[in-house]
Amino acid sequence: MAESAISIRNVTKDFPVGISGKKLRAVDGLVLEVRDNEIFGLLGPNGSGKSTTIKIVLGLLEPSHGECAIFGKPSRSVAARQRVGFLPESPYFYRYLSGRELVSYYARLCGVNKDKLDAAVDSVIELVGMQEAAHRRVGTYSKGMLQRIGLAQAIVHDPRLIILDEPTAGVDPLGAAAIADIVRELKARGKTILLSSHLLAQIEGLCDRVAILHRGKLVREGRIDELVTDPEADCLVVEGLDPAGHAAVQQVIEAKGGRLLRIEKPRLSLDAFFLKEVHQREREHAVVSADQEDYP
Amino acid sequence: MSFQSPRRIRLIAGNTFLEAVRQRFFNSVLLIALALIASSTFFQQFDFGSSELKFIADFGFGALFFFGSILAITVTTQLFFNEMENRTALTMLAKPVHKFDFLAGKLLGVQLLMLAFTSLLSLVLLGILFWRETGLMGQMGPDAFSEGRMVRYMDILTFGFLQWLKFGLLSAVTLFVASFSNTNIYTIIVSFCILVVCQLQYIAREAYADMAPGPARLLVQGLGLIFPNFQLFNVGDQLLLTSQEGLPAVTVLQISLYACVYIVAFLLLAHLSFRRREI
Amino acid sequence: MKFDHPIFQRLRAGCLTVVVLLMLGCLLRPLEAPTWQQVQSGQPEFNLAGLEGALGQGILVSTLGGFRAIMADFLWIQANTVWEKRERAKFDSMLRLVTTIDPRPLFFWIHSARMIAYDVPHWRIREEGGYRAVPDSRQAEIDREQAEQAFALIRRALEFHPDHPHLYLEIGQIYLNRLDDPEQAAPWFLRASEQANAPYYAARIYAELLRRQGKNPQALEYLQGLYHRLPDHDPRAQKMIILERIRELEELLGVKGESQFKPQLMPDTKFIH
Repeated sequence: MAESAISIRNVTKDFPVGISGKKLRAVDGLVLEVRDNEIFGLLGPNGSGKSTTIKIVLGLLEPSHGECAIFGKPSRSVAARQRVGFLPESPYFYRYLSGRELVSYYARLCGVNKDKLDAAVDSVIELVGMQEAAHRRVGTYSKGMLQRIGLAQAIVHDPRLIILDEPTAGVDPLGAAAIADIVRELKARGKTILLSSHLLAQIEGLCDRVAILHRGKLVREGRIDELVTDPEADCLVVEGLDPAGHAAVQQVIEAKGGRLLRIEKPRLSLDAFFLKEVHQREREHAVVSADQEDYP
Repeated sequence: MSFQSPRRIRLIAGNTFLEAVRQRFFNSVLLIALALIASSTFFQQFDFGSSELKFIADFGFGALFFFGSILAITVTTQLFFNEMENRTALTMLAKPVHKFDFLAGKLLGVQLLMLAFTSLLSLVLLGILFWRETGLMGQMGPDAFSEGRMVRYMDILTFGFLQWLKFGLLSAVTLFVASFSNTNIYTIIVSFCILVVCQLQYIAREAYADMAPGPARLLVQGLGLIFPNFQLFNVGDQLLLTSQEGLPAVTVLQISLYACVYIVAFLLLAHLSFRRREI
Repeated sequence: MKFDHPIFQRLRAGCLTVVVLLMLGCLLRPLEAPTWQQVQSGQPEFNLAGLEGALGQGILVSTLGGFRAIMADFLWIQANTVWEKRERAKFDSMLRLVTTIDPRPLFFWIHSARMIAYDVPHWRIREEGGYRAVPDSRQAEIDREQAEQAFALIRRALEFHPDHPHLYLEIGQIYLNRLDDPEQAAPWFLRASEQANAPYYAARIYAELLRRQGKNPQALEYLQGLYHRLPDHDPRAQKMIILERIRELEELLGVKGESQFKPQLMPDTKFIH
C-alpha cells in the first residue's frame, strides 16, 4: 500500500488563554489520513480547527498530544517540508517584488538549483496563467492574481504535497474555476492536494475525499459521493414525458415495489450555470472581435 | 540549521535589506542625520580655530550614535513584526527554512542596512572635516598645523566600523526581545531601556568596587555582568586627532570580538525563544 | 504545582536568560576588562561632584550615557552666548561645568582662562563705573583677582594635561600681558619651553624677559645654549634672530674677540632637553 501523504494520529492542540492557566482546545483527538495523489478537502465552519490542523501538518505548531507525519517523516522536521508547498489564506507577499521575482525568491529558498530556476519559474507562471502580469509588482495585483501567484510560489519547487488554505476565498467564480482547473492538473501530475475551505460548492466538484471538522473534532470523513448520496433512493432524469407519462411511470414504480417520492426539474448549480453563461458570452465576444479585426 | 542555511540566510538577508531601504522611516532618519552633520558647518561662525574640527566630529559622532541607535531598534522591530502581522513569516516558515535561518537572515539584513547608513554618515563627516580642515589650514597658516593635518581620517572609519558593530549588537538584543514580545511598541520600549542600561552599566561596575559585601553588591555586580558594556564603543574622541595617542589595533580587535560574541549570543537566545513561538 | 503553567514557563525562560548572560559576562570579562581599561585611560575620571549643580538640567544622564563630548560642546556654545550677554555668575559656572564634563579638550581650558583673565576684568571695571571712574589701584586689584582665578583654572587643567606647553604659556602670558609682571612670567615661559613639542618662541620670550629684568649675563648664557639646541633647517626656530640677540647682548656686556659666541653648524637636533 502506498505511503500516506499525511498521517494524523490522535492529535490534540490546546492553546493557553492568558496567564490564568486556562486552555482552549482547538483540535481534539483528530485521526486523519490523506492518501497519495488525491485531492482532499478539509471542511468546517469558522473556528472548527482547520487552520490549526494545517499548521500542525506544516510543523508551525506543535500538537499538545499525538503525532503527525508527512510521507512518513515527522511534520516538525524541516526535511518533511522539503516536498510540501503551501498557499496561506488571504496571502500577502512582498509588494515591491514582481511576480517573477517573488516566485524565484521562494524557489531559491526551497533549494531549486540556479540552472533549473528560470525553467521552473516559467513553467509555474504559465501553469497559473500569470505570464502577462509576471513582470509587474505584486503590489499592483488583484485578489485573484495574488491567489494565482501564491499558487505558483507554492508549487515552483515541484512538491509532492500541496496544501491550500481557502484558495478561492474572495475570488470570483471565474477565478475559482481557473484555480480548480489548476488543482486538477496538479493531481494529474501525481501530486497530493489538501485544501481547506468553507465554500462547499467549489469543493464538491473538486475533491476526492473530504473530512468535516466541528469544534476541533472530526465529524465525518469519506468520498463525497458516499457522503451526500441517499443509498436508499435512485434518481431518474427523463425527457419528453407529459403528465400522463408521469402517471404511467409512477404505476410501474409502484408495481415493482417502489415509491415515487417527488417529480422535480433537474437543476444546474448556480456556479455551473454562471460559468456556462460567461463562457458562452466570452466565445461570442471572441468571434465578434475576430470579425472586427478582419473587417475594420 | 543545515548545510543549506548560509545560502538561505543570505537570501532572506537580501530580501530584508530590499524591504528596509524602501521604508520611509529609514529614508527620513537618514536624511535628517545627513542634514544634521552637514549643518555642523555652522560652527564656522564661532571662529573656534582648529578646535572647530573637534566640534564637527563630536556633532557627527553624536548624530551617528543617536540616529543609528533609533534605526537599529525600530527597523529591526518593524521588519520582524511586519513578517508576523502580514503572515509572510508563515509562508516562509512553511518552506524548508529553519527558524534560525529566518532570524539570522533578518539580523543580517538589518546589519546590511546599518552598514549603508554608517558608511554614508561616516563618509559625509569625513568629507566635511577634510573640507574644513583644508579651509582652516589656509586661514590659520602653517604654525597652527605644523605637524600636518590634525584629523585621523582612517581612524574615523575605524570608529564607524565599531559603531556598526554596536548597532549589530543592539539589533540582536532587539531581535531577542521581539522573539517573545507580542507587540512592536513593547519591543521598542524594552530595547531602548536596555540601550540606556548598557550605556550606563559601567557605573555599576565602578560602584560595586566601593560597596560593602552583601546582596546589594552582588546585584550591582550582576548588572555589570548581564548587560554588555556599550561604553567600550565610545572611542571616537580617542581616535579623532593626531595629537592624541589613539587606540591600539589590538584594542579595536578586542572590541570587535566582544561585539561579535554578544551578537551571536543574543541571536541564539532569540532562536531559543522563537523556536517555541507559535506562528 | 503544574510546571506547564504559563507563569512558571515565563519565569523559567527569564531565569535561563539571566543565567546565560551572567555566564557570558563572566566568560568575556578577561577580554573585556583590559579593553575597558585601555578605553577608560583615554577618558578622564568623571567628577560627579562637579556636576551636582547641573543635575536638574538632565545633563547628568546624557553625559554619563556617552554624550559627554557633544554635551560639553553644546554647553560651550551656550557659554559663548552667556559671554555675549556678560552674565558673569552664570558664565563662571558654565565654564566650570564644561571643563568638568569634558576636561580633555585643551581648547576649553585655554579659552576659559583667557576669558576669565582678559574679558571679565573689563566687565567688572565697567560694572563699577568704567575706566575713568575706577581708580588704577582698584583696576589692578580686579586684574589680579581675575588672573588668580584663571591660574586656578589652569592648575586644574594641568592635572589632566601635565605636559602640555600651552598651559604654562598661558600662565606666563597672563602674568606678562595682563599683570605686567615679567619676573613672575619668566619661569612659566621656561617651563613651557621645556615641554615636548613646545613652540620655539617660548624659549625666546624667556630670554627676552631675562633681559627686561636686567639679567643680561643669564640671558646671554641661555641664548647661547639655546642656539646650539635649535635645529638648523627649521625656519620656525629662527636661529638668525637668536644670533642677533646674542650679538646685541655681547655688545651690551662688552664681550669681544675670542670670547664672542661662535655659531657652529651642527646636525639637526631635536629641540628637547
